[in-house]
Amino acid sequence: MISITFAILLCLLVILSLVLLATRGSSVRHELSFRSDVPLYNETTGDPSLCPPEFAARIFSPADWTFVSGEKSRDVVRLFQHERRVVALVWAHQTKSAIHRIMREHTRITRQSQDLHLATEARLVYHYVQLVAICDLLILAIQSAGPSHVGSLATYAALLSQRFADAQHTLAITTAARELPGASAAH
Amino acid sequence: MLSLSIWLVGIVFELALLFRGAQHGLLRRYPIFYSYISFVLLNDTLLFAIHLPPRPYLYYYWFSEFFSLVLGCLVFLEFYRVALREYPGTARMARALLSVLFLLAMLKTVVTTVNVHQWWFNATPAQVEGVLRVCQLLAILSLTVLVLFYSVPLGKNLRGILLGYGLFVGWSVVCLALVAAGVAKANTLWSFTFPFSYLISLIVWTVYLWSYQPNPVPGRAIPLEQDYLRVAAATQRRLHNARGYLAKAVGS
Repeated sequence: MISITFAILLCLLVILSLVLLATRGSSVRHELSFRSDVPLYNETTGDPSLCPPEFAARIFSPADWTFVSGEKSRDVVRLFQHERRVVALVWAHQTKSAIHRIMREHTRITRQSQDLHLATEARLVYHYVQLVAICDLLILAIQSAGPSHVGSLATYAALLSQRFADAQHTLAITTAARELPGASAAH
Repeated sequence: MLSLSIWLVGIVFELALLFRGAQHGLLRRYPIFYSYISFVLLNDTLLFAIHLPPRPYLYYYWFSEFFSLVLGCLVFLEFYRVALREYPGTARMARALLSVLFLLAMLKTVVTTVNVHQWWFNATPAQVEGVLRVCQLLAILSLTVLVLFYSVPLGKNLRGILLGYGLFVGWSVVCLALVAAGVAKANTLWSFTFPFSYLISLIVWTVYLWSYQPNPVPGRAIPLEQDYLRVAAATQRRLHNARGYLAKAVGS
């Protein structure tokens, strides 16, 4: 027998997703809205447009904090804390939006792909969910504890996002190359 | 009186839906969905015209309920076929996800029947229908999530079919759970919410399927080629800038 709580929860979940589907508005408009002119990858090197992990390590490094607190100036310390928190938050938000963009680009390519690899796809989705959760956690941690206390988590997020972007880029090139007219005949 | 009004209004909406569908060639495009509506209309009209005694009515009710459930599954399959025709990647993911769901449902059924002896013999029709509707609702949920995740563009007609049917099945699951638990009884407020939810679905379908709106056709451009075009444009822009600097340098 189905429990009433389960039935209500399932019904709410379905209604919520259907409302999302209905309010997505014109699907064509939605389709066009996320096609940005800003390239997803560096045009010359092909690297994803994410901040390098060294940059994240520098923002979240306790070395600057140790130096500033050694200056014994309360105003400088307060200013440093404020500025560093803002930079760290901007980095976390940028990383999160870059991940979203990479995933959107990926789904746009793979939804029409003829030979989608389910395991690879599942792994990418898993990494995507993990990264988004880490970014959210990072934003909360920066706001509550400050950037110098979450250095290892930020470095991990930066490395993971870089790896995620690289994997997606390789997959996109492979998929596109496989689906180029005459590609199969060339083998 | 209230149930009779809901019944009559429902028949009017079903007729309007079929009329508009025939007028705009939608019957040809979504044959299973319109077969489902025709079946419900026929059923409603028959029950309205012929007053069956309680016992035959009960059998007839459950027979038509299960038949409409099967037709509903076919409507879902039609939606899947039409919506994901141009998206083989998403269709493959949907197949995998639905297979996993089906396997889980099978496992759950096996575990239930092993633990509770003679479940199938003792279960009431409401309980059996409840379990089947839950499977249907999970399938609808997974397909909706996939459509949202892969940003599959849907036309107004398809969105309406999914929206209306999802609302109806969702509320059916809640109502059947309440009936099985003994909360919802005949002639209480709960008993009216079930036909009322179907009426809401009919209104949604009538609005969304009032006229034919084609599904957006995806662009067939290959991403790698797009990348090449983008790089080529950027190179041209840079060359143009370099020529400008060169001209300035030579001029000075």
